[in-house]
Amino acid sequence: MAAIRKMPRLLNRANNAAALSLLVVLLAVAAPARAHHSVPVNFDQSKEITITGKLTEAKWINPHSRFRLDVTQDDGKTVEWLVEMGAVNTMRRAGFEIDKFVVGDTLTIIGWPGRDRERTMLLRTAVLKDGTKLTP
Amino acid sequence: MMRGVLVILYVVSAATFAHAQQRPDISGNWILNGGKTTFGEWHLTDAGDRRFKAYDFKKDDPSLKCIGSSWTRVWLNPNVLVKITQNPMDVRLQYEWMDIDRRIPLVDPTALRAKRSLPIPMMPALGTSVAWYDGDALVIETRDVGPGYVSTMQEWAGLPQSRMMRTIERLSLANPNLLNINITHVDPANYRDPLIVNITYPRSKFELMHYGCDPKDAQITEPSK
Repeated sequence: MAAIRKMPRLLNRANNAAALSLLVVLLAVAAPARAHHSVPVNFDQSKEITITGKLTEAKWINPHSRFRLDVTQDDGKTVEWLVEMGAVNTMRRAGFEIDKFVVGDTLTIIGWPGRDRERTMLLRTAVLKDGTKLTP
Repeated sequence: MMRGVLVILYVVSAATFAHAQQRPDISGNWILNGGKTTFGEWHLTDAGDRRFKAYDFKKDDPSLKCIGSSWTRVWLNPNVLVKITQNPMDVRLQYEWMDIDRRIPLVDPTALRAKRSLPIPMMPALGTSVAWYDGDALVIETRDVGPGYVSTMQEWAGLPQSRMMRTIERLSLANPNLLNINITHVDPANYRDPLIVNITYPRSKFELMHYGCDPKDAQITEPSK
């Protein structure tokens, strides 16, 4: 019998992401988002990272919605992050307020980092520029 | 003569009624949200083990192209609806995930040449199916499948499916609000004995929604710059 396969090697981006982050915490709500590809296979649920950047794209689609954020690193270089979320059908059923996200706004995203994929994460909580926290 | 006809009518009516009574009422909307999923132990052949170990979640997952890779994989998707409609001649299962619409003829399982369902467009791994009622269960048998993966999720990600696979799904009610899906995968090319999967779906008050997966979007998993 083949053994149950091990998860891919973890990438520790927590420190890097922490350096990028501006922490804004007003409310706390937590519920795992889901994607069409498996969350545990694609994201490291043992780590939580936070990034802050300018929203350049918001796609509300199935199987999973996504943001693109331009994030300025400590060295002054701006890089893009891809933030995945659950299916828009699921988010609509859950009452997630997608209208509150405006391209050009600054957002803080808290979530799980992607496995073996640089600058990717799964959104667990989004913090708007006015401090409102939203969780899908 | 008249008495004989009446007796026959009575017997046919009684048999029909009894048959109808056996059919579980599984029509309605169901969703995998808080339900329980278990995989039995899997015993792979050498070829199956090689395929399993070679699976790369970053490029081999068919859902990145909006494709269902096996019926177990279709059932495993959480938070999307499945609508079941039981008709006299067939059963229809509409999966919100990837907008899969499955119309399966009800057949006599002992018939040698039963009419099978049409293939699901663009999803060769889902094959063709027939269905029948067996006691308190709806049984769905599927073959003619293309290569795929039983699962692309969790520790089961990459369990393979070959063209030889035959899949038997048994749908029954644990209670009026909980659907049990018992799936048996028989695939001698990859498994030394059948792989058994159990999934439970609570009933849902939500309605089916359009999914509209676009492969161009589904394949985006990394930042562009």
